[in-house]
Amino acid sequence: MKWYVVRRVAWAVVATYLAVSLTFGLLMVTPNAGADVAAAQAAASGQDYDAVRERYLERRGLDRPVEEQYIDYITNILTFDWGYSFSQGEPVLAAIGDAWVYSAQYFVPAIIISALLGYGIGLYSALNRYTPTDYLGSFVAYFGISIPNFWFAIVLILLFGVVLRLLPTFYDSSVALLSVQNVKQLLMPVVVLSTASVAGQMRYSRAQAIEYARSAFVKTARAKGASEWRVLTRHILRVALVPLSTILIADVLAVLFAGSFIIETIFQIPGLGRLALEAIQQKDTPLVLATTLIPVFIAIIGNLLQDLAYVALDPRIDYGDR
Amino acid sequence: MAGDEPAPDVGTARTAGTGFERIDWTAVDDADSTVPPAAVAAEALVFFSLVAAFVYDYVILANEAPTVGVVGWDVTGVEWLLVVVLAIGVFHAALPLARNRRLTAYYWRQFQKNRAAVVSLGFLGFVFLVGLVGPLIWTAPNEAIDYAAAYQPPVFAGGSWAYALGTDAQGRPLWHLIVYGMRVSLEVGLISMVFAISIGTVVGTAAAYFGGYVDEVLMRYVDLQQTFPVFILLLLLIYLYGASLLLIIALYGLFSWEGTARLVRSEALQRGEEAYVRAAEAAGAGRWWTIRRHLIPNVSSTVITAATLSIPVFILGEASLSFLGFGDPDVFSWGRTISAGRSDLPNAPWISTIPGLFLFLTVLAFNFVGDALRDAIDPR
Repeated sequence: MKWYVVRRVAWAVVATYLAVSLTFGLLMVTPNAGADVAAAQAAASGQDYDAVRERYLERRGLDRPVEEQYIDYITNILTFDWGYSFSQGEPVLAAIGDAWVYSAQYFVPAIIISALLGYGIGLYSALNRYTPTDYLGSFVAYFGISIPNFWFAIVLILLFGVVLRLLPTFYDSSVALLSVQNVKQLLMPVVVLSTASVAGQMRYSRAQAIEYARSAFVKTARAKGASEWRVLTRHILRVALVPLSTILIADVLAVLFAGSFIIETIFQIPGLGRLALEAIQQKDTPLVLATTLIPVFIAIIGNLLQDLAYVALDPRIDYGDR
Repeated sequence: MAGDEPAPDVGTARTAGTGFERIDWTAVDDADSTVPPAAVAAEALVFFSLVAAFVYDYVILANEAPTVGVVGWDVTGVEWLLVVVLAIGVFHAALPLARNRRLTAYYWRQFQKNRAAVVSLGFLGFVFLVGLVGPLIWTAPNEAIDYAAAYQPPVFAGGSWAYALGTDAQGRPLWHLIVYGMRVSLEVGLISMVFAISIGTVVGTAAAYFGGYVDEVLMRYVDLQQTFPVFILLLLLIYLYGASLLLIIALYGLFSWEGTARLVRSEALQRGEEAYVRAAEAAGAGRWWTIRRHLIPNVSSTVITAATLSIPVFILGEASLSFLGFGDPDVFSWGRTISAGRSDLPNAPWISTIPGLFLFLTVLAFNFVGDALRDAIDPR
């Protein structure tokens, strides 16, 4: 088991290294967008295009041999020297430090709500199959995985913001963190973001629980007189949590990352998603890289934690296998 | 229902024979599952002519000249791929289904049990047909710009029948935008699906069957690919290379097969332990024969379900990218139309909502059909 944990941690380190190298490789094989922008601006004001481009690359050390740049790049990433973002006018990490609060405000509630609701409804409908509640549950699940979240957000804004005038149509960052107004303006982003992931978790937990509800150990527990609640929490949930944590980490993170770009664009929340989009639009390469690498790092750490949680939750897992 | 079925026809060679020893097993094998040489020849001919036409379009014709001069249709790279995918569909889905009538009828009866899925299939058939031939009937949105007809409401909101679904800020009929959007969704969904499912199936079966280092290397790569969120990778690559529909389709196809590979691998590992595979190996079957004849057909129900359920993911992904402004600026994706209508939400809500409704229904229909297919063809 120790060996398994060591192998998993080592793999996380390797994956991090490969992801960082991949981004470096991509940057190397493409023309430098920032240099083009700078050179085009200089050319517009009458300077020589190529000369300005050269100077731009030289100032950033981009004319050095590839291996030297590569070592530099890896060192900078590892020492958290992630460069300066010209579009935000501050170091990259400072810009991210300012932005993440806004993302977390709707991200964290959405994850908690979707996990509680998704697993709750999923387990409930697994134990009460073919009842009206079960059908309602699967209807909600189909709705949630099928509705495009940007369209759902637009319809909600149209309904609650434009027609009914109950909720603000966009996020106002000047509102105090702990106020009714802030809760009201976060309501729609949280609903939109959690809808998709609730559906995924609900479907999956229902399928898992149905599989275990018929297994021998659950029948034994019932035969020994365990209450439904005890059967659910001690027997079904314990084994079902292992595969369920997989979907929580892998799929939900993917849904949430893609969702954060869209939600922050629609509701004008100045969070990480918008920071990334602005960086892309303004060709701010250091910031683009940072906003790419952070989700990747989160995903790697999430996968590592999930693998370690496997060991804790299910003693039957063979550590020799994956 | 089962009573009025004719007795199952197990293959002519077997019913014609009187004793076990007179069965010609080669004939049984050929009749049961191998494709007739005519179909193979036809497929080879179709693909050969497609390649020839493609070379003709790209090497001999000038860049600007339309491919089919009479109708002025300049076939784009994505459209070439779509034609190839449709040809694959005809030879590897439609023809086998038509040849195995009995099995097809059985699947259809199972599928019909789910009424929502039958309705969904009808809707998808409509989207497929309109997306395929619609752009030949209705003019391209950019040729239909008419500022005098801007912001016409749809018929049910007091508009005229001339613009049944209303018009956008530039007076383009919404129906034209939707039809061209169907084509885009069709291309993204089908082409990416064929890419992703083919790679995933090959990798999954190879990993399961060869085991050892092959398995280790392939699955490590799958781990890595799963870690890198594909949406982020797409944004990064679009940032570096610029957006085009072909790039988006290729990236979705090349970087989202890891789920299929995992599914096929675990399924193939289970199948590989079963008696018929052991029997084939004991009878001297080679590795490729076992994979092709026994493993792949037996994991196909998993693959078909995964394929159907992956299409809506690609369609939604492309629409999301276009919504954010990272789509191909030359095509009229639904996401782009929805995004453009956002600023007119208070005064012309139909611009955003109607294409969104089509997107929602298409994705919903694929999910319904995928789940019904799983119930119909997956015996487990």
